Amino acid sequence: MNQYTISGKQRIIFLAMIAIGVVSMAFTWMGDDELHTRFWTNFLHNSVFFTGIALMATFFIAVCITAWSGWHAVFKRIWEAFSMFLIPGFLLMMIIALCTYFDIHHLYHWTDTSLYDDPTSDNYDAILASKAGFLNKNWYLFGTLIIVGLWVFFAVKLRGLSVSEDADPGEDFKNHRTQRIYAAAFLPIAGFTSAAIIWQWIMSIDSHWYSTMFAWYTGASWFVSMIAMTIMVLIYLKGKGYYEQVTGEHIHDLGKFLFAFSIFWTYLWFSQFMLIWYANIGEETIYFRLRRDHYPVLFYGNLVMNFVLPFLILMRNDTKRKYGSVLFVAALVVFGHWWDFFQMIKPGALHTAHEVIGGHGDHGAEAAHHVMEFTSGFTLPGFLEIGTAIGFMGLFLFVIYGALGRAALVAKNDPYLEESLHHHV
Amino acid sequence: MAAHKEVVFGLYDDEVDLMNAVKKAKADHLEIMDVYSPFPVHGLDPILGLSESRLHIAGFVYGMLGTLTAFLGMTWIFTKDWPIVFGGKPYWSVPAFIPITFELTVLFASIGMVVSFYTVCGLGPGVTNPYLDNRITDDKFCIAFDQNDVSHGQAESFFQSTGASAVKTKTI
Repeated sequence: MNQYTISGKQRIIFLAMIAIGVVSMAFTWMGDDELHTRFWTNFLHNSVFFTGIALMATFFIAVCITAWSGWHAVFKRIWEAFSMFLIPGFLLMMIIALCTYFDIHHLYHWTDTSLYDDPTSDNYDAILASKAGFLNKNWYLFGTLIIVGLWVFFAVKLRGLSVSEDADPGEDFKNHRTQRIYAAAFLPIAGFTSAAIIWQWIMSIDSHWYSTMFAWYTGASWFVSMIAMTIMVLIYLKGKGYYEQVTGEHIHDLGKFLFAFSIFWTYLWFSQFMLIWYANIGEETIYFRLRRDHYPVLFYGNLVMNFVLPFLILMRNDTKRKYGSVLFVAALVVFGHWWDFFQMIKPGALHTAHEVIGGHGDHGAEAAHHVMEFTSGFTLPGFLEIGTAIGFMGLFLFVIYGALGRAALVAKNDPYLEESLHHHV
Repeated sequence: MAAHKEVVFGLYDDEVDLMNAVKKAKADHLEIMDVYSPFPVHGLDPILGLSESRLHIAGFVYGMLGTLTAFLGMTWIFTKDWPIVFGGKPYWSVPAFIPITFELTVLFASIGMVVSFYTVCGLGPGVTNPYLDNRITDDKFCIAFDQNDVSHGQAESFFQSTGASAVKTKTI
């Protein structure tokens, strides 16, 4: 079975998931504050999360090609399918960027130009003024357009070459050689642009705050989620009888990636936290103080799900090979990193919303302080957040299984295919 | 040291021949003393029936020992023995302890595992290393039988039937 076809039942399940998402988003919109903060943060949260998974899949394809690695060749179509989600991801992020441009939502404090237009004004915000060269609506819109557009171009190109290789049994591996050029070109592009886009999509929600570790930390979050999703999709397809050639050896290597990059994520998380904690500068510590004091479940739950449990469970050799344990950790880690993005986005967005609704000055601070109590959808993901996530997950799965069905599951004529089929760790 | 052994061994040119020979020896119930190769041969361990190493369990215990030593040590030093305020932080500042706790965990685990490994293998300063053939460390793959377990004639016919390029004996 080298050709996957999406069954009618699966299509119904995915469409039902999308329907749950749409209904959840509609309910979120109706029960929202006047800025629809909860709706827009959920939209941003899930769009960024799944687009990032698609980016990291593209990035990892490029890494593997450039490193001449062979172990993944048997299931590389899964990453190529993930990379195809960049196209809907591009559309989703363009919706957010356009709504930022036309002031339809107020996720970002810096979109209020009255704060830095006039240096003599009482509201003049010197910090936002100094960042205005990067944090402005024009760059947000065109940056998203150019950068995600570039990602889509490379994803489509790399997948296209891989698919056309199936029909070309030539000994000179023409397609693969061309892929090497595109992959090598994409690596620096992905490295720099992902950092820039993370700053503007996520970090700028806390407009006054910044951290030089943030892009890496978020990128690691995306990467771990991508590996975990790969494990889940592979084991699912194996259960359906596809991918007989994928063995415990491949799952073992993916498990090692899951283990290693969970630790890498923790290393970055801690590096960011520790330096800010140690330097003890008010403008910087406020980010963690807000989360630790007012969102403790988010703050500590993040570390338990994304570090403690994967670390302890996957430490042994055999738990990385047994489908049950590795599947459990993969599901946990996908949820954990979705949770991680939740705690990056929600506290800052809520703060901004209350400043805007409450007006500026003391009143705003008071309003912002007031909401530091338990608020479903902000201090913890509520049912509507889960529903929205299910909807986006349904869309993601619909897109990737659709993409899987449009090419052979095991790529033919890949120069590394034999190595991958005999992979042994 | 253990008593001297009369060893009969065969050299193979290729790891595929070696694997097939090991499988045949297992099927014929010949007790293999040891197998030597210039590099780790994938898939050899399960054919030889070697059990999984328990070294990593020892490593975990050493690591936890390091974690506890560092964490409890620093807790005692900075709260009881010699409390000093650093940068306005509390005496018991967990984030500041993490890097050192991590380092000592790694240090204890690595040194503990090295010492355990050397002890179990009987390695150490002044140990002589009996080797069967120089080319085992270069390009030859070797199966060795103890002549107490497998007679010379039996071994010879086994090596001939499995395509060994040379059969030798040595006392180690």
